[in-house]
Amino acid sequence: MLDSAMAALASLADPSLLIMLLIGTVAGLIMGLIPGLGGTGAVAILLPITFGMEPPQALALLIGALAVVHTSDTVSAVLLGAPGSASASVTMLDGYAMAKKGQAARALTLAFLSSMAGGIIGAVGLTLAIPLARPLVLSFASPELFMLTVLGVALAAVLSRGNIIKGVSAGLLGLILGMVGTSPTTAEERFTFGSLFLGDGLSLVAVALGVFGLAEIASRASQRRGQKQVITLGGGWGQGIREWLTHWTQVIRGALIGIWAGVLPGVGATAGTWMAYGQAVATAKDKRQFGKGDPRGIVGPESANNSVEAGDLIPTLLFGIPGGVPSAMLLGMLLTYGIQPGPSIITEHLDLMYLIVWSFAIASVLGALLCFLSVKQLAKLTKVPFAVLAAGLVAIMLLGSFQEGGQLGDLWIMIVLGAFGWLLKSTGFPRAPFLIGFVLAIPLERYYFLTDSLYEGFDWMARPGVLFFLAILILPMIWAFIKFIRARRHTNVDDGHRDEQPEDDEAPLKNSTWSLVASGIFFVAFAAAFIASFSFSPEARLVPQLVSTGGLIFSGILLFIETRRRLRDRTPKADATLAAEAEGILDTQTTKAGWTLDAKFALKTFLWMTGFLALTAAFGYLIAVTIFIPAFLLIVARARVKTAVVYTLVLYVVLLALPSLLPIDLPQGWLNTIV
Amino acid sequence: MTSKMSSLEPPGLSPESSEGQGEQPDPPKHSRRTILTAVGAFALLGTATTVLGGSLLNPPSSTEDGDFSGETLEFLIPLASGGGTDTWARFIGTELTNYVPGRPGFAPVNDAGGEGILGTNRFARSAKTDGTEILVGTASTVVPWVLGRSAVKYSFEDLKPVVVNGTGGVIYARAEAGVAGLEDLINRDQPLEFGGISATGLDITTLVAFDLLEADVTSTFGFEGRGPVNLALQRGEIDLDYQTTSAYGSAVAGIVKEGKAVVLMSFGQLNEAGDVVRDPNFPDVPTVAEAYETLHGKKPSGEKYEAYKTLLGLTYTYQKGLWVPQETPESAYELLRQSSEKLGEDKGFQEKAAKVLGGYPLVADPGTADRVRDAYKVSGSVRSYVTGLLASKYNIHVE
Repeated sequence: MLDSAMAALASLADPSLLIMLLIGTVAGLIMGLIPGLGGTGAVAILLPITFGMEPPQALALLIGALAVVHTSDTVSAVLLGAPGSASASVTMLDGYAMAKKGQAARALTLAFLSSMAGGIIGAVGLTLAIPLARPLVLSFASPELFMLTVLGVALAAVLSRGNIIKGVSAGLLGLILGMVGTSPTTAEERFTFGSLFLGDGLSLVAVALGVFGLAEIASRASQRRGQKQVITLGGGWGQGIREWLTHWTQVIRGALIGIWAGVLPGVGATAGTWMAYGQAVATAKDKRQFGKGDPRGIVGPESANNSVEAGDLIPTLLFGIPGGVPSAMLLGMLLTYGIQPGPSIITEHLDLMYLIVWSFAIASVLGALLCFLSVKQLAKLTKVPFAVLAAGLVAIMLLGSFQEGGQLGDLWIMIVLGAFGWLLKSTGFPRAPFLIGFVLAIPLERYYFLTDSLYEGFDWMARPGVLFFLAILILPMIWAFIKFIRARRHTNVDDGHRDEQPEDDEAPLKNSTWSLVASGIFFVAFAAAFIASFSFSPEARLVPQLVSTGGLIFSGILLFIETRRRLRDRTPKADATLAAEAEGILDTQTTKAGWTLDAKFALKTFLWMTGFLALTAAFGYLIAVTIFIPAFLLIVARARVKTAVVYTLVLYVVLLALPSLLPIDLPQGWLNTIV
Repeated sequence: MTSKMSSLEPPGLSPESSEGQGEQPDPPKHSRRTILTAVGAFALLGTATTVLGGSLLNPPSSTEDGDFSGETLEFLIPLASGGGTDTWARFIGTELTNYVPGRPGFAPVNDAGGEGILGTNRFARSAKTDGTEILVGTASTVVPWVLGRSAVKYSFEDLKPVVVNGTGGVIYARAEAGVAGLEDLINRDQPLEFGGISATGLDITTLVAFDLLEADVTSTFGFEGRGPVNLALQRGEIDLDYQTTSAYGSAVAGIVKEGKAVVLMSFGQLNEAGDVVRDPNFPDVPTVAEAYETLHGKKPSGEKYEAYKTLLGLTYTYQKGLWVPQETPESAYELLRQSSEKLGEDKGFQEKAAKVLGGYPLVADPGTADRVRDAYKVSGSVRSYVTGLLASKYNIHVE
């Protein structure tokens, strides 16, 4: 075994292999930087290049890219609040918060180092897992996978930061949204209203980029100036590394969760990364800083989203069952080389296995190093006025998410969900549970039905794995309940809402009419889902009805609380104002005025986006960009004319060149069909 | 704090008042003329490029001039990447483009959803008819068409096959479930559990086979794919599974060797006369027809057997194919067909393909289109038997 490992390492000294690895790494980093492309885009674009290469070269190229996509997708998440991929939305929570405090360099340093460690641990895990993978995969039967998805959904409560009712409502709505499309058990279409497009289900990239990315753009596009100063790391890189080292347990935990989530088919990178974040929050003693720039919120998930890719390779290579789209493409490539994945790959192609392991590890280090060296330059990006960046970001994000399915409809959904995400964000609904619910909806339902029909009664509840997950689920609840009772007994505080008030300086519209409207939307959505599900067959109906009933209860409570608060607020405006004053964030006069102006501006930004997409639908992407970009830059961002001209010209040239250089399609409009 | 302040500024305020508020002033508004000039100029540039340079971005096809140079063959794969059909299409596509005169580029596009129906619907609705857009057809899209599902908006009668390729498969069982051979399929105390994806997909052929054999089987559907079903069998959650030839090596061969699983029968292949014969890849495994004889002591016949043979042709012997719209110009179609024929006859390719695809020949001779058309004719009695089986046994009402 060691011989093969060393032989594989020696073969990497071959310059042609090293060059491929380097090209792959750089390509992966670039793909990761562009919101929407991610690992799928990287492999899809590189795959055609590999045809005609020898297997080792091709593998080095693809693994190089795959290993680092989740290193660089952090950049836009941290600096711009626009996640490079769905799983980078996790790092965004704390990384972006840190960057907004002017500590972008710190956040990026932590993230890159964790990515590197995650990649290396993933590669080691890949090596060790070769003999262990089979028993591990086989020990996870449908009941365990079901419990795992339940655990994932339960994270919604952990991630709801003090407001469990809002968190659970958002999680349940995510579940409903995830069920749009073909039902896993009966293959009938649900919530599609007869639309073929919706039959596909909503695209994860569109949902993640909309709810997090576009929402962020809308709430910040009013910033016409950049951050005045960027706080650099006081002690340079040394201090960054030292700080990172203090979180080493989080790094390892994150990486292990990542590998594990990657090994199990059906969990996926996004859910795995959220689980890493969830455990970091759940096990932390002091949770107050999470979501506001806690380093633990960056380190764990970053480590996990790199090791997920390594873990994902295990079932791909050993069983021929890919866990994600990128590894599925890798699998296809192996098959075209006549390399048959399966348990026998260890005996027949051990050298290639080790080549993969080494490539993964080397690319992780290389990728993190390249990113690490550019931290200072990257952090300067925050000096550019956000409004100026926003114009290009909208164009790139829409183009990126168009690549997945080639559907203009995905982009409309993205904008609608962007507006919804902005509403959630501004009214204090956590968005993380929403995305988790969306990702886990189908696996949850699938494994529930498989468990239900393959096991007699509740026999499956007695399986050790299930008991383990049940314990993880229930013990914290009991603990929290005991704490609650104790707290109640000692201090008889009547008003439960008081302690949630100071949590959210991020949610300026909380407790306003807007949040009443948001609760209303939730309630109506659940009611509509409940009614619509009556037309499904009994099997397909069960889970949506359970979820929407739960949703109706939770959003009903919310609606009640909000209405009561509205009524109370009519009398002296005690609550909100006092709290804001006590926090000393803002003085009372400007607060109220600012809120509504922010809302107005966000809505205006969404109108801009809608206009952009309408232009695209009519005249194609190129014309839409050449109109939207200069108009947005001059009118909204008030950039200098020179900036606007150069900016637009660069984008124009890139858009012209892209389709011939890479397999990237520009959305076509009505005009294109005529010409 | 700076960022906080700036977001509070009303966007519509005049420059003077915003200067008064912040430490750093907002840039002044541009005059309407500047904006109109700049936007207008760029809009003109964009429009000019799109209208005049449309050929530059998407050069018009010239597939009827005897070669495909400068073109890209776009394979629409209506299923997610990584599956058997996807691998097949990518493999064939990569090889085929080397044989097509002019060496066109190759762009596989996965348009997954609705078990392949949605992607195929889209192809039928909007595919280019110049031979550069090619549909990958597979059992998942053929079966719903056979069943006449309302979601299906395409018809294989509107498409022309360029090349077809068969596959085969075996049905195997978990040894620990008390299965040692074919005889253990019938007269059981406890029925065997079959793991499926969806009764209205490729699984239908297996279900018809079980019905024909009168095997004692119950079914659970909802698995993500055949890989997960194979794992579920290894875990003991289910007892019966089938795998296609290309997955046999990685999924079945190992556990059969270890004695954990038993291969029961192969689906067989249809010969030119329409009879079920042994699969060249499983020459020692009895076919479903032979299994019937072993179990019931007579040759199979009747509507169930007719249905099995039809489905065998559609879902195995002529399972995979590349299709172009019927309106594709004859010269472009012929170019693709002849290139495929050459590819199929190439010894080097056959060797490579034998390893990857399990060695079923690529069929693209001039008579292909007619033979495929015959195979794709489904009689009314077969259709009504299949829909009846789904309704009575699996409570699925095809709409």
